[in-house]
Amino acid sequence: MDIQYMIEIFPRFLLVIPITILIVVLSAIFGLMLSIPVAAIRIRKIPVLSQMMGAYISFTRSTPILLQLFLFFFGLPVLLQLIGFDIMKIDAITAAVACLIVFNGAYMSEVLRPAYLAIEKGQHEAAESLGYTPFQKMKTVIIPQMAPIALPGLGNAIIHLIHDSSLVFAIGVVDIMGMATIMSGDTFGMKQVEVFLTVALIYWGISMISEQLIRLLERRKKKVLKNTGYKLKEEEAGYSV
Amino acid sequence: MLNIEHLDLSFGDSKVLDDINLEVHKGEVITFIGPSGTGKTSLLRCINLLEKPDGGRITLGGDTYDYGSITKKETLDLRRKTAMVFQQYNLFKNKTVLENVMDAQIVVQKKSKAAARDKSMAELARVGLEAKADAYPHQLSGGQQQRVSIARALAVEPEVILFDEPTSALDPELVGEVLKTIGEVAGSGMTIILVTHEMSFAEDISDRVVFMDRGKVAEEGPPQQIFRHSNHARTQQFLRKFYTASH
Ligand SMILES: Nc1ncnc2c1ncn2[C@@H]1O[C@H](COP(=O)(O)OP(=O)(O)OP(=O)(O)O)[C@@H](O)[C@H]1O
Ligand SMILES: [Mg+2]
Repeated sequence: MDIQYMIEIFPRFLLVIPITILIVVLSAIFGLMLSIPVAAIRIRKIPVLSQMMGAYISFTRSTPILLQLFLFFFGLPVLLQLIGFDIMKIDAITAAVACLIVFNGAYMSEVLRPAYLAIEKGQHEAAESLGYTPFQKMKTVIIPQMAPIALPGLGNAIIHLIHDSSLVFAIGVVDIMGMATIMSGDTFGMKQVEVFLTVALIYWGISMISEQLIRLLERRKKKVLKNTGYKLKEEEAGYSV
Repeated sequence: MLNIEHLDLSFGDSKVLDDINLEVHKGEVITFIGPSGTGKTSLLRCINLLEKPDGGRITLGGDTYDYGSITKKETLDLRRKTAMVFQQYNLFKNKTVLENVMDAQIVVQKKSKAAARDKSMAELARVGLEAKADAYPHQLSGGQQQRVSIARALAVEPEVILFDEPTSALDPELVGEVLKTIGEVAGSGMTIILVTHEMSFAEDISDRVVFMDRGKVAEEGPPQQIFRHSNHARTQQFLRKFYTASH
Protein backbone atom coordinates (compact mmCIF):
# COMPACT_ATOMS: atom_id res chain seq x y z
CA MET A 1 0.00 0.00 0.00
CA ASP A 2 1.30 3.36 -1.08
CA ILE A 3 0.21 5.84 1.56
CA GLN A 4 2.48 8.48 0.07
CA TYR A 5 0.47 8.17 -3.16
CA MET A 6 -2.81 8.53 -1.28
CA ILE A 7 -1.59 11.77 0.26
CA GLU A 8 -0.46 12.99 -3.16
CA ILE A 9 -3.81 12.43 -4.87
CA PHE A 10 -5.91 13.84 -2.05
CA PRO A 11 -5.70 17.48 -3.26
CA ARG A 12 -7.10 16.47 -6.65
CA PHE A 13 -10.21 15.20 -4.88
CA LEU A 14 -10.54 18.49 -3.01
CA LEU A 15 -11.29 20.07 -6.39
CA VAL A 16 -14.33 17.86 -7.00
CA ILE A 17 -15.72 17.56 -3.46
CA PRO A 18 -17.70 20.77 -4.11
CA ILE A 19 -19.44 19.02 -7.02
CA THR A 20 -20.63 16.26 -4.72
CA ILE A 21 -21.68 18.76 -2.08
CA LEU A 22 -23.50 20.86 -4.67
CA ILE A 23 -25.41 17.84 -5.91
CA VAL A 24 -26.30 16.77 -2.37
CA VAL A 25 -27.34 20.22 -1.16
CA LEU A 26 -29.47 21.05 -4.21
CA SER A 27 -31.12 17.64 -4.19
CA ALA A 28 -31.85 17.83 -0.46
CA ILE A 29 -33.31 21.34 -0.53
CA PHE A 30 -35.40 21.02 -3.68
CA GLY A 31 -36.29 17.42 -2.83
CA LEU A 32 -37.73 18.61 0.47
CA MET A 33 -39.62 21.37 -1.30
CA LEU A 34 -41.05 18.85 -3.76
CA SER A 35 -41.94 16.42 -0.97
CA ILE A 36 -44.28 18.93 0.71
CA PRO A 37 -46.94 19.05 -2.04
CA VAL A 38 -46.51 15.32 -2.63
CA ALA A 39 -47.19 14.59 1.04
CA ALA A 40 -50.08 17.07 1.06
CA ILE A 41 -51.74 15.38 -1.91
CA ARG A 42 -51.42 11.98 -0.26
CA ILE A 43 -52.63 13.21 3.13
CA ARG A 44 -55.69 14.85 1.61
CA LYS A 45 -56.23 11.80 -0.60
CA ILE A 46 -57.00 14.05 -3.58
CA PRO A 47 -58.53 11.67 -6.14
CA VAL A 48 -56.38 10.75 -9.16
CA LEU A 49 -53.46 12.94 -8.04
CA SER A 50 -53.07 10.87 -4.89
CA GLN A 51 -52.95 7.62 -6.87
CA MET A 52 -50.44 9.19 -9.25
CA MET A 53 -48.22 10.20 -6.34
CA GLY A 54 -48.57 6.70 -4.92
CA ALA A 55 -47.31 5.24 -8.19
CA TYR A 56 -44.49 7.77 -8.33
CA ILE A 57 -43.37 6.92 -4.79
CA SER A 58 -43.60 3.21 -5.44
CA PHE A 59 -41.63 3.53 -8.70
CA THR A 60 -38.77 5.53 -7.20
CA ARG A 61 -38.58 3.16 -4.26
CA SER A 62 -38.59 -0.02 -6.28
CA THR A 63 -36.17 0.73 -9.08
CA PRO A 64 -32.39 1.07 -8.70
CA ILE A 65 -31.18 4.65 -8.50
CA LEU A 66 -28.59 3.91 -11.14
CA LEU A 67 -31.36 3.07 -13.55
CA GLN A 68 -33.23 6.23 -12.61
CA LEU A 69 -30.11 8.25 -13.36
CA PHE A 70 -29.87 6.75 -16.85
CA LEU A 71 -33.56 7.37 -17.43
CA PHE A 72 -33.10 11.03 -16.58
CA PHE A 73 -29.90 11.48 -18.54
CA PHE A 74 -31.22 9.92 -21.72
CA GLY A 75 -34.92 10.48 -21.18
CA LEU A 76 -35.03 14.16 -20.20
CA PRO A 77 -33.83 15.48 -23.59
CA VAL A 78 -36.46 13.34 -25.31
CA LEU A 79 -39.11 14.67 -22.95
CA LEU A 80 -37.95 18.27 -23.43
CA GLN A 81 -38.08 17.82 -27.20
CA LEU A 82 -41.63 16.54 -26.93
CA ILE A 83 -42.69 19.76 -25.25
CA GLY A 84 -40.86 21.86 -27.81
CA PHE A 85 -37.37 22.49 -26.45
CA ASP A 86 -34.71 21.63 -28.98
CA ILE A 87 -32.09 20.05 -26.79
CA MET A 88 -30.12 17.04 -27.92
CA LYS A 89 -28.29 16.37 -24.70
CA ILE A 90 -28.45 17.70 -21.19
CA ASP A 91 -25.62 18.42 -18.87
CA ALA A 92 -24.86 15.39 -16.71
CA ILE A 93 -24.91 17.37 -13.46
CA THR A 94 -28.32 18.79 -14.33
CA ALA A 95 -29.65 15.33 -15.04
CA ALA A 96 -28.14 13.99 -11.82
CA VAL A 97 -29.60 16.77 -9.69
CA ALA A 98 -33.01 16.51 -11.36
CA CYS A 99 -33.04 12.77 -10.77
CA LEU A 100 -32.07 13.04 -7.11
CA ILE A 101 -34.60 15.82 -6.51
CA VAL A 102 -37.33 13.61 -7.89
CA PHE A 103 -36.08 10.68 -5.84
CA ASN A 104 -35.97 12.69 -2.62
CA GLY A 105 -39.32 14.31 -3.32
CA ALA A 106 -40.81 10.83 -3.03
CA TYR A 107 -38.62 9.60 -0.17
CA MET A 108 -39.03 12.66 2.00
CA SER A 109 -42.78 12.84 1.41
CA GLU A 110 -42.99 9.47 3.11
CA VAL A 111 -41.16 10.97 6.09
CA LEU A 112 -43.39 14.05 6.27
CA ARG A 113 -46.66 12.20 5.87
CA PRO A 114 -46.48 10.08 9.04
CA ALA A 115 -45.06 13.06 10.94
CA TYR A 116 -48.06 15.14 9.93
CA LEU A 117 -50.49 12.36 10.76
CA ALA A 118 -48.92 11.98 14.21
CA ILE A 119 -50.21 15.41 15.23
CA GLU A 120 -53.56 15.15 16.98
CA LYS A 121 -56.62 16.57 15.27
CA GLY A 122 -57.28 18.69 18.36
CA GLN A 123 -54.12 20.72 17.67
CA HIS A 124 -55.50 21.68 14.26
CA GLU A 125 -58.94 22.43 15.62
CA ALA A 126 -57.68 24.58 18.47
CA ALA A 127 -55.85 26.82 16.00
CA GLU A 128 -58.72 26.82 13.51
CA SER A 129 -61.28 27.70 16.17
CA LEU A 130 -59.24 30.80 17.00
CA GLY A 131 -59.26 31.93 13.38
CA TYR A 132 -55.72 31.01 12.31
CA THR A 133 -55.31 30.81 8.55
CA PRO A 134 -54.06 27.43 7.31
CA PHE A 135 -50.61 28.97 6.84
CA GLN A 136 -50.54 30.50 10.34
CA LYS A 137 -51.64 27.18 11.81
CA MET A 138 -48.93 25.23 10.01
CA LYS A 139 -46.23 27.72 10.87
CA THR A 140 -46.88 28.23 14.55
CA VAL A 141 -48.51 25.00 15.67
CA ILE A 142 -48.19 22.05 13.32
CA ILE A 143 -44.72 22.31 11.77
CA PRO A 144 -42.98 22.95 15.11
CA GLN A 145 -44.54 19.73 16.38
CA MET A 146 -43.80 17.80 13.18
CA ALA A 147 -40.17 18.85 13.01
CA PRO A 148 -38.82 16.73 15.85
CA ILE A 149 -40.76 13.72 14.59
CA ALA A 150 -39.58 14.08 11.00
CA LEU A 151 -35.98 14.91 11.77
CA PRO A 152 -34.54 11.39 12.12
CA GLY A 153 -36.13 10.37 8.83
CA LEU A 154 -34.91 13.48 7.02
CA GLY A 155 -31.42 12.96 8.45
CA ASN A 156 -31.50 9.43 7.12
CA ALA A 157 -32.56 10.69 3.72
CA ILE A 158 -29.55 13.00 3.59
CA ILE A 159 -27.07 10.28 4.54
CA HIS A 160 -28.62 8.06 1.86
CA LEU A 161 -28.38 10.93 -0.58
CA ILE A 162 -24.67 11.38 0.06
CA HIS A 163 -24.11 7.73 -0.72
CA ASP A 164 -26.45 7.67 -3.71
CA SER A 165 -24.71 10.69 -5.18
CA SER A 166 -21.63 8.51 -5.68
CA LEU A 167 -23.48 6.85 -8.56
CA VAL A 168 -23.70 9.97 -10.71
CA PHE A 169 -20.26 9.25 -12.19
CA ALA A 170 -22.06 6.60 -14.23
CA ILE A 171 -23.61 9.28 -16.43
CA GLY A 172 -20.32 11.14 -16.70
CA VAL A 173 -20.35 13.59 -13.80
CA VAL A 174 -16.84 14.16 -12.51
CA ASP A 175 -17.64 14.10 -8.82
CA ILE A 176 -15.49 12.36 -6.20
CA MET A 177 -16.27 8.96 -7.61
CA GLY A 178 -15.90 10.22 -11.19
CA MET A 179 -12.46 11.55 -10.34
CA ALA A 180 -11.58 8.19 -8.80
CA THR A 181 -12.42 6.29 -11.97
CA ILE A 182 -10.35 8.75 -14.01
CA MET A 183 -7.39 8.30 -11.69
CA SER A 184 -7.56 4.57 -11.60
CA GLY A 185 -7.46 4.69 -15.39
CA ASP A 186 -4.48 7.08 -15.32
CA THR A 187 -2.39 4.60 -13.39
CA PHE A 188 -3.43 1.74 -15.68
CA GLY A 189 -5.15 0.08 -12.74
CA MET A 190 -1.94 -0.10 -10.67
CA LYS A 191 -3.13 2.00 -7.71
CA GLN A 192 -6.81 1.11 -7.57
CA VAL A 193 -6.79 0.14 -3.89
CA GLU A 194 -5.14 3.43 -2.89
CA VAL A 195 -7.53 5.48 -5.01
CA PHE A 196 -10.72 3.85 -3.79
CA LEU A 197 -9.52 3.73 -0.19
CA THR A 198 -8.94 7.48 -0.37
CA VAL A 199 -12.45 7.90 -1.77
CA ALA A 200 -13.90 5.75 1.00
CA LEU A 201 -12.14 7.88 3.60
CA ILE A 202 -13.50 11.05 1.99
CA TYR A 203 -17.09 9.73 2.01
CA TRP A 204 -16.63 8.66 5.58
CA GLY A 205 -15.53 12.16 6.47
CA ILE A 206 -18.42 13.84 4.65
CA SER A 207 -20.95 11.50 6.24
CA MET A 208 -19.46 12.06 9.70
CA ILE A 209 -19.66 15.82 9.32
CA SER A 210 -23.24 15.61 8.08
CA GLU A 211 -24.20 13.36 10.94
CA GLN A 212 -22.74 15.83 13.40
CA LEU A 213 -24.79 18.62 11.84
CA ILE A 214 -27.92 16.51 12.03
CA ARG A 215 -27.12 15.64 15.62
CA LEU A 216 -26.98 19.33 16.48
CA LEU A 217 -30.54 19.62 15.21
CA GLU A 218 -31.53 16.48 17.07
CA ARG A 219 -30.42 17.94 20.35
CA ARG A 220 -32.93 20.71 19.76
CA LYS A 221 -35.46 18.10 18.79
CA LYS A 222 -35.01 16.26 22.09
CA LYS A 223 -35.76 19.46 23.93
CA VAL A 224 -38.92 20.09 21.90
CA LEU A 225 -40.05 16.49 22.29
CA LYS A 226 -39.57 16.71 26.03
CA ASN A 227 -41.61 19.90 26.11
CA THR A 228 -44.48 18.57 24.08
CA GLY A 229 -44.61 15.43 26.18
CA TYR A 230 -44.93 13.26 23.08
CA LYS A 231 -43.48 9.87 23.83
CA LEU A 232 -42.58 8.74 20.37
CA LYS A 233 -40.54 5.74 19.50
CA GLU A 234 -37.98 6.59 16.87
CA GLU A 235 -39.19 3.77 14.62
CA GLU A 236 -42.66 5.16 14.18
CA ALA A 237 -41.22 8.58 13.68
CA GLY A 238 -40.20 8.57 10.08
CA TYR A 239 -38.11 5.53 9.27
CA SER A 240 -40.98 4.29 7.23
CA VAL A 241 -39.09 4.23 3.95
CA MET B 1 -76.44 39.25 19.56
CA LEU B 2 -76.06 35.67 18.33
CA ASN B 3 -78.83 34.43 16.14
CA ILE B 4 -78.99 31.09 14.37
CA GLU B 5 -81.69 30.41 11.81
CA HIS B 6 -82.63 27.15 10.13
CA LEU B 7 -79.29 25.44 10.68
CA ASP B 8 -79.07 22.01 9.06
CA LEU B 9 -76.21 19.54 9.18
CA SER B 10 -75.89 16.02 7.86
CA PHE B 11 -73.06 13.53 7.76
CA GLY B 12 -73.63 11.51 4.63
CA ASP B 13 -77.21 10.29 4.79
CA SER B 14 -77.83 10.94 8.46
CA LYS B 15 -79.30 14.25 9.45
CA VAL B 16 -77.52 15.33 12.63
CA LEU B 17 -79.01 18.82 13.11
CA ASP B 18 -82.46 19.58 11.84
CA ASP B 19 -83.64 23.17 11.50
CA ILE B 20 -82.01 24.60 14.62
CA ASN B 21 -83.05 28.12 15.61
CA LEU B 22 -81.44 29.87 18.52
CA GLU B 23 -81.22 33.38 19.80
CA VAL B 24 -78.66 34.31 22.44
CA HIS B 25 -78.45 37.71 24.09
CA LYS B 26 -75.32 39.42 25.22
CA GLY B 27 -74.13 38.12 28.58
CA GLU B 28 -76.51 35.18 28.52
CA VAL B 29 -75.50 31.67 29.56
CA ILE B 30 -77.24 29.00 27.50
CA THR B 31 -76.76 25.36 28.36
CA PHE B 32 -77.45 22.44 26.05
CA ILE B 33 -78.34 19.09 27.53
CA GLY B 34 -79.58 15.93 25.94
CA PRO B 35 -78.83 12.28 25.21
CA SER B 36 -75.58 11.19 23.66
CA GLY B 37 -75.37 11.50 19.88
CA THR B 38 -78.05 14.16 19.77
CA GLY B 39 -75.89 16.75 18.04
CA LYS B 40 -74.84 19.05 20.90
CA THR B 41 -71.15 18.93 20.00
CA SER B 42 -72.01 19.23 16.33
CA LEU B 43 -74.01 22.38 16.98
CA LEU B 44 -71.12 24.07 18.79
CA ARG B 45 -68.77 23.03 16.00
CA CYS B 46 -71.13 24.52 13.43
CA ILE B 47 -71.17 27.84 15.23
CA ASN B 48 -67.45 28.31 14.64
CA LEU B 49 -67.37 26.28 11.45
CA LEU B 50 -65.23 23.37 12.52
CA GLU B 51 -68.17 21.63 10.86
CA LYS B 52 -69.77 23.17 7.79
CA PRO B 53 -73.57 23.13 7.94
CA ASP B 54 -75.57 22.34 4.82
CA GLY B 55 -77.64 25.45 5.22
CA GLY B 56 -78.90 28.17 7.50
CA ARG B 57 -77.70 31.53 8.68
CA ILE B 58 -75.88 32.90 11.67
CA THR B 59 -75.74 36.47 12.86
CA LEU B 60 -72.96 37.35 15.25
CA GLY B 61 -71.67 40.73 16.34
CA GLY B 62 -73.80 42.55 13.78
CA ASP B 63 -72.79 40.50 10.73
CA THR B 64 -74.86 37.81 9.08
CA TYR B 65 -73.21 34.81 7.45
CA ASP B 66 -74.99 32.45 5.13
CA TYR B 67 -73.71 28.94 5.83
CA GLY B 68 -74.53 27.76 2.33
CA SER B 69 -72.32 30.30 0.61
CA ILE B 70 -69.79 31.28 3.26
CA THR B 71 -66.36 32.33 1.97
CA LYS B 72 -62.95 31.58 3.45
CA LYS B 73 -62.64 35.14 4.63
CA GLU B 74 -66.03 35.06 6.32
CA THR B 75 -65.11 31.76 7.96
CA LEU B 76 -62.01 33.29 9.53
CA ASP B 77 -64.00 36.36 10.47
CA LEU B 78 -66.67 34.31 12.23
CA ARG B 79 -64.10 32.15 14.00
CA ARG B 80 -62.31 35.22 15.26
CA LYS B 81 -65.48 36.32 17.04
CA THR B 82 -65.84 33.02 18.85
CA ALA B 83 -63.63 30.87 21.04
CA MET B 84 -63.99 27.21 21.84
CA VAL B 85 -63.10 25.29 24.99
CA PHE B 86 -62.68 21.64 24.08
CA GLN B 87 -63.37 18.54 26.10
CA GLN B 88 -59.73 17.49 25.65
CA TYR B 89 -58.37 21.03 26.28
CA ASN B 90 -56.27 20.95 23.07
CA LEU B 91 -53.59 23.29 24.32
CA PHE B 92 -50.76 23.78 21.83
CA LYS B 93 -48.27 21.18 23.00
CA ASN B 94 -45.23 22.96 21.62
CA LYS B 95 -45.94 26.16 23.53
CA THR B 96 -45.73 27.19 27.16
CA VAL B 97 -48.84 28.16 29.07
CA LEU B 98 -48.13 31.83 28.48
CA GLU B 99 -47.42 31.27 24.77
CA ASN B 100 -50.67 29.34 24.46
CA VAL B 101 -52.60 32.32 25.74
CA MET B 102 -50.52 34.89 23.81
CA ASP B 103 -50.26 33.22 20.43
CA ALA B 104 -53.60 34.03 18.83
CA GLN B 105 -53.32 37.66 19.94
CA ILE B 106 -50.01 37.96 18.11
CA VAL B 107 -50.66 35.74 15.10
CA VAL B 108 -54.31 36.48 14.46
CA GLN B 109 -54.96 39.82 16.13
CA LYS B 110 -51.53 41.27 15.28
CA LYS B 111 -51.06 42.71 18.75
CA SER B 112 -47.61 43.67 19.97
CA LYS B 113 -45.80 41.09 22.05
CA ALA B 114 -45.84 43.30 25.10
CA ALA B 115 -49.56 43.97 24.89
CA ALA B 116 -50.29 40.29 24.32
CA ARG B 117 -48.14 39.35 27.30
CA ASP B 118 -49.90 41.79 29.62
CA LYS B 119 -53.31 40.64 28.52
CA SER B 120 -52.30 36.96 28.85
CA MET B 121 -50.87 37.37 32.33
CA ALA B 122 -54.09 39.11 33.38
CA GLU B 123 -56.19 36.24 32.01
CA LEU B 124 -53.92 33.67 33.63
CA ALA B 125 -54.32 35.50 36.94
CA ARG B 126 -58.06 35.33 36.44
CA VAL B 127 -57.96 31.54 36.21
CA GLY B 128 -55.41 31.39 39.02
CA LEU B 129 -52.48 30.08 37.00
CA GLU B 130 -50.06 32.94 36.54
CA ALA B 131 -47.48 30.91 38.46
CA LYS B 132 -47.58 28.27 35.70
CA ALA B 133 -46.90 30.72 32.86
CA ASP B 134 -43.64 29.02 31.85
CA ALA B 135 -44.79 25.43 32.24
CA TYR B 136 -45.64 23.24 29.27
CA PRO B 137 -49.17 21.80 29.03
CA HIS B 138 -48.14 18.21 29.76
CA GLN B 139 -46.68 19.33 33.07
CA LEU B 140 -50.12 20.44 34.28
CA SER B 141 -53.07 18.49 35.62
CA GLY B 142 -56.14 18.16 33.42
CA GLY B 143 -57.98 20.75 35.47
CA GLN B 144 -55.12 23.22 35.15
CA GLN B 145 -54.90 22.61 31.40
CA GLN B 146 -58.59 23.27 31.03
CA ARG B 147 -58.27 26.51 33.01
CA VAL B 148 -55.42 27.59 30.69
CA SER B 149 -57.61 26.84 27.71
CA ILE B 150 -60.29 29.05 29.26
CA ALA B 151 -57.69 31.82 29.66
CA ARG B 152 -56.72 31.30 26.01
CA ALA B 153 -60.35 31.72 25.00
CA LEU B 154 -60.82 34.82 27.15
CA ALA B 155 -57.64 36.43 25.85
CA VAL B 156 -59.00 36.93 22.35
CA GLU B 157 -62.05 38.76 23.76
CA PRO B 158 -64.60 36.78 21.75
CA GLU B 159 -68.27 37.67 21.43
CA VAL B 160 -69.13 34.22 22.74
CA ILE B 161 -67.27 31.28 24.28
CA LEU B 162 -68.38 27.78 23.35
CA PHE B 163 -67.75 25.10 25.98
CA ASP B 164 -68.08 21.46 24.90
CA GLU B 165 -68.29 19.26 27.98
CA PRO B 166 -65.35 21.05 29.55
CA THR B 167 -65.20 18.76 32.59
CA SER B 168 -66.02 15.34 31.22
CA ALA B 169 -62.40 14.34 30.54
CA LEU B 170 -61.36 15.28 34.07
CA ASP B 171 -60.81 13.19 37.16
CA PRO B 172 -63.72 13.84 39.54
CA GLU B 173 -61.61 15.74 42.05
CA LEU B 174 -60.58 18.25 39.36
CA VAL B 175 -64.07 19.04 38.11
CA GLY B 176 -64.79 21.58 40.83
CA GLU B 177 -61.94 23.99 40.03
CA VAL B 178 -62.93 24.13 36.36
CA LEU B 179 -66.63 24.66 37.13
CA LYS B 180 -65.66 27.43 39.52
CA THR B 181 -63.64 29.12 36.78
CA ILE B 182 -66.50 28.83 34.30
CA GLY B 183 -68.84 30.26 36.93
CA GLU B 184 -66.55 33.27 37.32
CA VAL B 185 -66.38 33.78 33.57
CA ALA B 186 -70.19 33.67 33.42
CA GLY B 187 -70.37 36.12 36.30
CA SER B 188 -68.14 38.58 34.44
CA GLY B 189 -70.80 39.03 31.77
CA MET B 190 -69.30 36.83 29.04
CA THR B 191 -71.80 35.27 26.66
CA ILE B 192 -71.57 31.50 27.00
CA ILE B 193 -72.94 28.48 25.19
CA LEU B 194 -72.26 25.40 27.27
CA VAL B 195 -72.75 21.70 26.65
CA THR B 196 -72.54 19.71 29.85
CA HIS B 197 -73.72 16.70 31.77
CA GLU B 198 -73.18 18.51 35.09
CA MET B 199 -76.87 19.05 35.72
CA SER B 200 -76.74 20.85 39.06
CA PHE B 201 -74.06 23.18 37.74
CA ALA B 202 -76.20 23.83 34.66
CA GLU B 203 -79.15 24.62 36.86
CA ASP B 204 -77.08 27.09 38.90
CA ILE B 205 -75.33 28.90 36.11
CA SER B 206 -77.73 28.98 33.16
CA ASP B 207 -80.10 31.71 32.14
CA ARG B 208 -81.70 29.27 29.74
CA VAL B 209 -81.48 25.54 29.19
CA VAL B 210 -82.08 23.82 25.87
CA PHE B 211 -82.96 20.16 25.80
CA MET B 212 -81.90 18.63 22.49
CA ASP B 213 -83.14 15.37 21.17
CA ARG B 214 -82.25 13.67 17.89
CA GLY B 215 -80.93 16.74 16.19
CA LYS B 216 -83.74 19.05 17.22
CA VAL B 217 -84.47 21.49 20.00
CA ALA B 218 -87.07 19.58 21.97
CA GLU B 219 -87.66 22.02 24.80
CA GLU B 220 -86.13 25.22 26.08
CA GLY B 221 -86.73 27.47 29.02
CA PRO B 222 -85.38 28.73 32.33
CA PRO B 223 -83.45 26.09 34.32
CA GLN B 224 -86.18 25.64 36.94
CA GLN B 225 -88.71 24.85 34.27
CA ILE B 226 -86.51 22.30 32.48
CA PHE B 227 -85.07 20.62 35.53
CA ARG B 228 -88.05 20.81 37.91
CA HIS B 229 -91.27 21.35 36.03
CA SER B 230 -90.74 19.98 32.55
CA ASN B 231 -93.95 18.74 30.98
CA HIS B 232 -92.10 17.33 28.03
CA ALA B 233 -91.99 13.55 28.13
CA ARG B 234 -88.54 13.14 26.53
CA THR B 235 -86.97 15.68 28.88
CA GLN B 236 -88.44 13.98 31.95
CA GLN B 237 -87.31 10.61 30.69
CA PHE B 238 -83.78 11.88 30.01
CA LEU B 239 -83.44 13.56 33.39
CA ARG B 240 -84.88 10.57 35.25
CA LYS B 241 -82.43 8.24 33.52
CA PHE B 242 -79.66 10.70 34.16
CA TYR B 243 -80.33 11.00 37.87
CA THR B 244 -80.76 7.27 38.42
CA ALA B 245 -77.48 6.68 36.56
CA SER B 246 -75.50 9.21 38.55
CA HIS B 247 -76.92 8.64 42.04
N1 LIG C 1 -67.33 13.58 11.77
C1 LIG C 1 -68.46 12.85 11.81
N2 LIG C 1 -68.78 12.03 10.80
C2 LIG C 1 -69.93 11.30 10.82
N3 LIG C 1 -70.82 11.33 11.82
C3 LIG C 1 -70.56 12.14 12.86
C4 LIG C 1 -69.37 12.94 12.92
N4 LIG C 1 -69.38 13.64 14.07
C5 LIG C 1 -70.54 13.28 14.70
N5 LIG C 1 -71.23 12.40 13.98
C6 LIG C 1 -72.56 11.83 14.35
O1 LIG C 1 -73.42 12.90 14.58
C7 LIG C 1 -74.28 12.64 15.65
C8 LIG C 1 -74.21 13.76 16.67
O2 LIG C 1 -72.95 13.72 17.30
P1 LIG C 1 -72.51 14.76 18.41
O3 LIG C 1 -71.11 14.45 18.76
O4 LIG C 1 -72.82 16.11 17.94
O5 LIG C 1 -73.47 14.36 19.61
P2 LIG C 1 -73.45 14.88 21.11
O6 LIG C 1 -74.83 15.32 21.42
O7 LIG C 1 -72.35 15.85 21.32
O8 LIG C 1 -73.17 13.53 21.90
P3 LIG C 1 -72.35 13.31 23.27
O9 LIG C 1 -73.25 13.69 24.40
O10 LIG C 1 -72.06 11.84 23.27
O11 LIG C 1 -71.11 14.15 23.20
C9 LIG C 1 -73.91 11.28 16.19
O12 LIG C 1 -74.79 10.34 15.68
C10 LIG C 1 -72.53 11.06 15.66
O13 LIG C 1 -72.29 9.70 15.45
MG1 LIG D 1 -70.57 15.85 22.46
